[in-house]
Amino acid sequence: MPAELIARLLDSNATWASDVSHAEPTFFPESTKGQSPKMLWIGCADSRVPESVVVACKPGDIFVHRNIANQFHPKDDNVLSVLTYAVEALNIDHIVVVGHTYCGGATHCWNNAGAAPVSPSLASDPLTRWLGPLTILARQQQSGPDATDAEKAIRALIEKNVELQVLNVARTSIVRDAWKKGRDIHVYGWVYELENGRLRDLEVSISRENALPM
Amino acid sequence: MALSILQFLLLSLCLVTYTQAHSTESAPPRFGRFGATVTRSRREVAAALTTDPALAKLLVQNEAWAENMDETRPGFFNTSAQSQNPAVLWLGCSDSRVPESVITNSLPGDIFVERNIANQVLSTDTNILAVLTYAIEHLNVSRIVIAGHTHCGGVQYCYDQAASLPTPTPNPLPPLPDPVLNTWLSGLYTLAVRLLNNPSISTSAPQDADAAMELITVENVRMQVESTSELDVVQKAWNEGKDLRIVGWLHQLENGRLKDLGICAGPDGDVGCSL
Repeated sequence: MPAELIARLLDSNATWASDVSHAEPTFFPESTKGQSPKMLWIGCADSRVPESVVVACKPGDIFVHRNIANQFHPKDDNVLSVLTYAVEALNIDHIVVVGHTYCGGATHCWNNAGAAPVSPSLASDPLTRWLGPLTILARQQQSGPDATDAEKAIRALIEKNVELQVLNVARTSIVRDAWKKGRDIHVYGWVYELENGRLRDLEVSISRENALPM
Repeated sequence: MALSILQFLLLSLCLVTYTQAHSTESAPPRFGRFGATVTRSRREVAAALTTDPALAKLLVQNEAWAENMDETRPGFFNTSAQSQNPAVLWLGCSDSRVPESVITNSLPGDIFVERNIANQVLSTDTNILAVLTYAIEHLNVSRIVIAGHTHCGGVQYCYDQAASLPTPTPNPLPPLPDPVLNTWLSGLYTLAVRLLNNPSISTSAPQDADAAMELITVENVRMQVESTSELDVVQKAWNEGKDLRIVGWLHQLENGRLKDLGICAGPDGDVGCSL
C-alpha cells in the first residue's frame, strides 16, 4: 500500500509536468534561471496545510519553511537559515507566520501542560524540547481566566502562538538590521481554518513603523 | 508570462475544476489616518498592512479555492478537520519552485512536510527531529521522501566557495560568508569540497560546473538519507518491526519531473529497498 501511494506521487507528478509543459512551454526552462518569491511562509508541517495549494499559487511564488506548530525559535539554526536566505539572498519583504485550527502540537501542549517537565526545553525527547515554548504558553493560559472550555482555549492558544512567533521574527537581528537599512519588511500572522479551508489574518502584523524598540 | 492564474489553477489542481472567473482586484484598501500627526495604534497599522496588495491577492485566491472545494468536494474540510493520515513525510528544500503538493497534484492531508535550506537532516537539529518524531511515532508514516532539486541555491552557495578554494585545500576550511548559513550548511560545504577535490572532476568549463553541481546535489540527498537512517527515532522504528523506508528523489526544475534516484534505506539496509 505505501509503495503504491508513493509510486502514485511520481505518476501524478509526471502528468502534472506534462500538462504544464504543454500549456506553457517556457515555464520550466524559465524557472531554472532563478526564483523571486515575494513571500516567506512559516507554517506547520501538518499535511492539511500545503501553502501553495490553499492559496492556489504556482511554483516560484512562495518560499517555505514548515515545522511542528509553526514555531520560530530565536536560536534555531534551521529557521534562522531560512529567514537569512529569504531576507538577504532573495530580498523577500513579506513574512507570514501561519497557524491553523486542529493543530496537533498546540492540542498536545494544552493537554499535557501539567504533566510536562518543569523545563520542557531541556527535555531529552526532541518533540518535548521543540514544544517547550508552546507548553509554557499553554501553562500561562491555563492559569488565566476562560481556561475551562478546552476547545475555545486551544483556539486561543493557537492564535496566541502565532502572535508570539510574529514577535520572534520581528525581534531577529536579520529583520532589525534590514529595517535599519531602510527595507520595508512586514511580518504577518494568519490562521488557516481547517474546517472550512479559509485563511484569516489575525491582524497582529509588525512592520518597521509599529515595531517596539528593543 | 502568458499563463493566467486561471489556466494554472486548472493544471496544477487537476482534481478541482475552476468555473468562476478570477478577479485579480484586491479588496478596496481601508487606510487609516495616513498623514495625521497622531500616532496610530498598532491595530490600525496592522489593519492597513493586511490590505497589502501582494498578500490581499493570496487571501482572495484562498477564498476562491475554498469555495471551489466546497462545490466540487462537499464535506472535504469537515472530514479533514477530524484527523490527518498522511502516509508520506516529505523533507525538502524551502525553494519556492518545489511546492511538494502542487508538483505531485496532492490534496491537503496527503503529505506531512518539513522544508528547509538545501533539504538537510542534521542530527543536532531539534526542529527536524521533532518533525520526524511526530511523523513516525504519532502519525505512523511509512515513507520518508528526501527531495533535493536542481539549481539549489544552498548547493550553489557551497559550490561557489568550494570551487574557489586554493590547492591544496586549506585546513581548516575558510567559513562560508554568512555565519548562520555557515553553521547550517557546514556538512554540505564539506561534501562539496570533498567531491571537488576528486581529480577526475574539473570545474573549468560550464558543462563541467553543471555536472559538478548535479553531483553535489545528488550526493547531498544520499548523505541526508544516510543521516536520517542513523537517527534514534528511525532505528527505534526499525527495531519495533515498522516497515519504514527512506527514499531519495530529485526534482528537476528543467522539466518539472521528480526523479527517483534509487537511493533507499530500510529495515533490511539497502538490500531490496525501494519505494
